[in-house]
Amino acid sequence: MSKVVQVQNITKTYGKKGEKQYQALKGVSFDVERGEFVGIMGASGSGKTTLLNILSTLDQPTTGNVYINGRDITGLNKNQMADFRGQEIGFIFQDFNLLENLTNRENIALPLSLQNVKASEINPKVDKIAKRLGIDHILNKYPAEISGGQKQRVAAARALVHEPAILYGDEPTGALDSKSATELLETMKGLNEKDRVSILMVTHDPYSASYASRILFIKDGKIGKEIKKDGKSREEFYQEIIAELGRR
Amino acid sequence: MLWKLSLTGIKSRFKDYLVLFSGLTFASAIFYMFMTLATNPAFLKGSLSIAFQITQIVFGFGIALLSIITFVYIVYANSFLLSMRQKDYGMYMMLGARTSKIGRLIFTETLVVGLLATLLGTVLGVALTQGVSSILISQLGLQIHKFVGFYLPALLWTIAFFAILFFLAAFWNRHKLVKSNIINLLHEDQKPVKLHRNKLWKFIEALLGIALLGTGYWAMMHAVKLGTKTIPIAFFTIVFGSYFTFDSFFTAIIDLLRKNLAFKYRKLHSFTLGQLKFRLSDYTRILSTVSLLFALALGAITVGLNFNNMTEQAMESTYYDVVLYNHNKKVDNQLKKVSVKSTTNLEYKIIMEGKGKERQRILYIPESQIENNKIMYQHYSRKNDVSHYDTRRITLNDFKNKKSNVAAEGEYQLVSLTPYKDAQVKVVPQVQYNRIKATVNKIELLRVNDFRSNFNNIEKLQKLSVNQMISSPNATKDGINVNLSNSKSAQYRLVSSMTSGFEFMGFFLGLAFLAMLASTLMFKVLSGANSDKPRYQMLWKIGTRKSLLKSSIAKEIGILFALPAALGVVDVLFGLQLFKSILGMNTYDKLWIPFTIFGVLYVIYYFLTVVLYQHIVLQKED
Ligand SMILES: Nc1ncnc2c1ncn2[C@@H]1O[C@H](COP(=O)(O)OP(=O)(O)O)[C@@H](O)[C@H]1O
Ligand SMILES: [Mg+2]
Repeated sequence: MSKVVQVQNITKTYGKKGEKQYQALKGVSFDVERGEFVGIMGASGSGKTTLLNILSTLDQPTTGNVYINGRDITGLNKNQMADFRGQEIGFIFQDFNLLENLTNRENIALPLSLQNVKASEINPKVDKIAKRLGIDHILNKYPAEISGGQKQRVAAARALVHEPAILYGDEPTGALDSKSATELLETMKGLNEKDRVSILMVTHDPYSASYASRILFIKDGKIGKEIKKDGKSREEFYQEIIAELGRR
Repeated sequence: MLWKLSLTGIKSRFKDYLVLFSGLTFASAIFYMFMTLATNPAFLKGSLSIAFQITQIVFGFGIALLSIITFVYIVYANSFLLSMRQKDYGMYMMLGARTSKIGRLIFTETLVVGLLATLLGTVLGVALTQGVSSILISQLGLQIHKFVGFYLPALLWTIAFFAILFFLAAFWNRHKLVKSNIINLLHEDQKPVKLHRNKLWKFIEALLGIALLGTGYWAMMHAVKLGTKTIPIAFFTIVFGSYFTFDSFFTAIIDLLRKNLAFKYRKLHSFTLGQLKFRLSDYTRILSTVSLLFALALGAITVGLNFNNMTEQAMESTYYDVVLYNHNKKVDNQLKKVSVKSTTNLEYKIIMEGKGKERQRILYIPESQIENNKIMYQHYSRKNDVSHYDTRRITLNDFKNKKSNVAAEGEYQLVSLTPYKDAQVKVVPQVQYNRIKATVNKIELLRVNDFRSNFNNIEKLQKLSVNQMISSPNATKDGINVNLSNSKSAQYRLVSSMTSGFEFMGFFLGLAFLAMLASTLMFKVLSGANSDKPRYQMLWKIGTRKSLLKSSIAKEIGILFALPAALGVVDVLFGLQLFKSILGMNTYDKLWIPFTIFGVLYVIYYFLTVVLYQHIVLQKED
């Protein structure tokens, strides 16, 4: 198995030199294998978003290296970073982040048109991923006209339509009711197992985390323990996570 | 505590406040300047004694229009202020600040910002009035006496007008903040947008819009036939036509473009189209208002500049610049101050002939004079509704058929040159002329090189020559019937004193309008910037290059600026037909001058808007 993400000893310090500084990441290292579903758990303020921003080139680490698909992303310039995000990374955010003035179809198509994919190839690709996520009947509606769960599926479709190396989720279920959350997590699990999509999901919710196959715990900017599902049922894994959180 | 927080909020958005503040300052400066020009009696007396009443109506109309646009402008500037502040204030409320306190805060803030800007604006206005008036007066060669920039009544009017507007704005802002709940304040940007509407109605609306515009243009082209009905018809149809066109026709075009996949699925096109479609439905009112005001402003400048053409026309109607009847010392001295291009002599004899009631003064001119001296005149005609003069020579042929029109015109032109306007002209062979027992009179017809630039000296020369003629002891008995008002100088003085006022105002009103409407549009666009921020943030996150975001913004705002300008230009092109047929002036002649001035200013505003918008919407990357 090859590695999709390699994180080598990254640190992140906020604030300029001489001013008040705050170290949000204090030397983080880990890998994500191709086809893995990794969860990163931690309390609020522990550095999860900071980490994800660095892994997705939205922010730069102060020291350390990050390789995605074997490519070092810490040495890229602004345009290269934007292009890299557009090609290799898929995002699902907590607050959907769909563009309200575009139809769902147009929202999903955006990453493709940004990459200059031929217009005639775009609709088939959108249709395919929409069907996979069960949203093909709402493609011509606007985001304001669909439910929160559906919005998050549209967001997932937009994150996957260009077949990125990895799908990142930053609290993707944070704004959903429990039924929609479960549906989305089941979908993500299916994508991971059937379609071999590599996923890295950041969350503070043990229930969401229990869908991952491996969980890294982050605390005060450092990775602490790591636990694996290893054939356990989801319920058993959930209990293990709760127990782990209780111990800390 | 809250006051401190509020000040911090202002500091953190200092640049945006600076734009708002300078916009408001500029608005009050312009308002003051116009009030001064419109109400300052020195200005009116100096330039417009003749057309005083018309001018007052026109200036009154100008003040009304300026008040309306200022009002609209303040409304949009204020909504920009509110859009900057509502998130901050929503946050304070969430932190537990009392609503009444927040209400007082925004009320005070609006009022203080507004009044400070007004005070600064009036000070600036005094300086501007002084500067602009002297520049315009010299640049356009206007016949306006100098006047001072400071005029107390105008100052008081300006302050009162703006104080009332800002009080209203302050009340409005307080009302909006106090009445809406916290969630709405914090998430104003996430409100769903209604985009679906009845397709059939939209189609009908689009057709109706175009048809109404067409009717309005048709009416302006047929102003002569329609008479007084023209303006009400054009006004009604163009106002509603513009509204419907913006409300549906342009969105229909966007829908069409969205159907073209090859176009839509290129880079950020789908996003830009989506933004525009959403914008157009939100901007319908402001875009149609801007297009109409744009047309009025551009029209005002174009027509204003063309009044200058009227002076030109007045000069064209007479061929000779100065007619010298007799010389004396004063005339000779004055003549030295004028650069003469050519002198044509005309000799004649004048006697009384006939008996009783038939007795009449006859002006004899020898045929040789006509044959050899090349006496010219300006022939008047109307071509395609435009007054036209062409230069012709009086020839002996003209008088062959004594009853013909040419003969009548020739005689009229000849007698007009002499001081005996009521005489009858007879062009006779030299032999017959020599037999007439009367003194030989000579006049000199001058063409000069510097009529406009040396006008004062030329007018004086003409005056001296006329005075000398009138004051001769036997003037009345001799039938001398000449006065200055028939001369070219007098005509020029008359027309230019009337038109320079109009020209000045058209020019000034046009520029003031343009500045106001462009910045109104600017504030409208900028008010949306805060709620657009998350969209651009998101696009950036999913891998859009910053340069692409920038160009998408430039395109989007470009279209929002271009649409009303394009419609406004079309309005003006047809609107000028009205002036062409009513005033008989060819307004299309020097069209490029006002259009260039306008284009340059408008483009500056466009770029300013784009830069400010990008500054608000795009994050700095490290
Ligand atoms: N731009 C920033 N400037 C300064 N400090 C920051 C910035 N972003 C995050 N932090 C700090 O870094 C820490 C980690 O934040 P974050 O990564 O957002 O945590 P999490 O996503 O786990 O809640 C927090 O203490 C936060 O206050
Ligand atoms: Mg976070």
